[in-house]
Amino acid sequence: MNIIGPDYLVFGVDDLAACAEFLTAFGLSPVGVDDHGGLFEALDGTGLIIRKKDDPELPAPLPTATMLRQQVYGVRDASDIEAIAAELGKDRKVHQLADGTIETIDDHGFALKFQVTKRRKLEMPAEKINAPGAPAQRGPNELGVWDGMPAKPRSLSHQVLFVPDLDVAVKFYCGRLGFVITDELTGAGPFLRPKANDDHHTLFFIRTPEYMKGIEHLAFHMGGPTELMVAGSRFVKAGYESFWGPGRHKFGSNWFWYFNSPLGTHFEYDADMDKHDDEWVARAAPMGPEASQMFLLQHRDKWAPGPGPKQ
Amino acid sequence: MRLCSIAEVAEGQARGFAVPGLRRKVVVVRKSGRVFGYLDSCPHYEGGTPMAWRTDRYLNGEGTHLACHSHGALFDVETGECVLGPCLGQSLTRVPLRVSALGEVELQLESAVEEPA
Repeated sequence: MNIIGPDYLVFGVDDLAACAEFLTAFGLSPVGVDDHGGLFEALDGTGLIIRKKDDPELPAPLPTATMLRQQVYGVRDASDIEAIAAELGKDRKVHQLADGTIETIDDHGFALKFQVTKRRKLEMPAEKINAPGAPAQRGPNELGVWDGMPAKPRSLSHQVLFVPDLDVAVKFYCGRLGFVITDELTGAGPFLRPKANDDHHTLFFIRTPEYMKGIEHLAFHMGGPTELMVAGSRFVKAGYESFWGPGRHKFGSNWFWYFNSPLGTHFEYDADMDKHDDEWVARAAPMGPEASQMFLLQHRDKWAPGPGPKQ
Repeated sequence: MRLCSIAEVAEGQARGFAVPGLRRKVVVVRKSGRVFGYLDSCPHYEGGTPMAWRTDRYLNGEGTHLACHSHGALFDVETGECVLGPCLGQSLTRVPLRVSALGEVELQLESAVEEPA
């Protein structure tokens, strides 16, 4: 089962216009969006699909405040879809759609869809840095930052779900779909990556009471920490509300900056996440401020020291 | 202390005002001809977190409830009680307001107590 990761996250919202404004300002591009909503995509074509919450085409909502209605996973090819349908068809209804995709639910009731991935292959350099002792990554006259530099989300990275039972979640995603646990924050939950993705995590669970079941946050990969800082600073300047960050996580090593949203979940810019293979041995650390980040900063308005008191 | 003129917050709307000495803004919201004040501080997490998704965007899309745009919690405008979401059963911190004869919305500072961190 070569699951790559989330292609789309689908939301049923109460204010399409506000969500469209937010997603566009976050850096996603509307594709075929009309009065009924549509897709807002990152540079590789992954992204969010938003609809009115009473849109009859949406899967049923969870009985909580969450607006997440479906997680659409990308897989390598049609044989992976067949394998998933065969496995999950053992104990639940799996709907085969005319376009070759399948729809079902996980053991907590989250709606899932699997499709041959629609991700476009990106050919873009990562952020380049220079340091003594190492070959220069940026050559002579190549600038690191400039006004107006691009800082667009490149790819949907991961989603984090509030679930009441971690064992149920792990048994389903690891036992049935071939995800592996890369690390665990005890007291919160495990980080998971699927077989066909070497990112530290595309999925993370946090144990909560049943009435909180839903999505805690979703994240997009940026081209590097500088792009993350630039995008986040622009977002704050435009009036959007920072929730946590910028900083750098310990597990996954990814830079982070989280924002509130009108979709009832946090949106994270992330950058420079660790990669893992099957040789990796999962770590565990107790959930808390110390384990959650290497360092945490806070945005402030631009400022500069001057020559001294005003003359 | 004066926060704003009542005319600056339309019926069915909310706005946030920074107050010196308060760690969080004060949200002024008008509903059914009445004015209510709350700290911009969702009770879901210890210490409270800011609730808007953009400057002054405190209401849910339908304009029926104050909302925390962290996880979608909805709060009753008149009581501050969470009616859906992660802080179900908890309430926003009420900030006493007074509307003067001249239509000035004033914070009753002496009774506005900062919540414990």
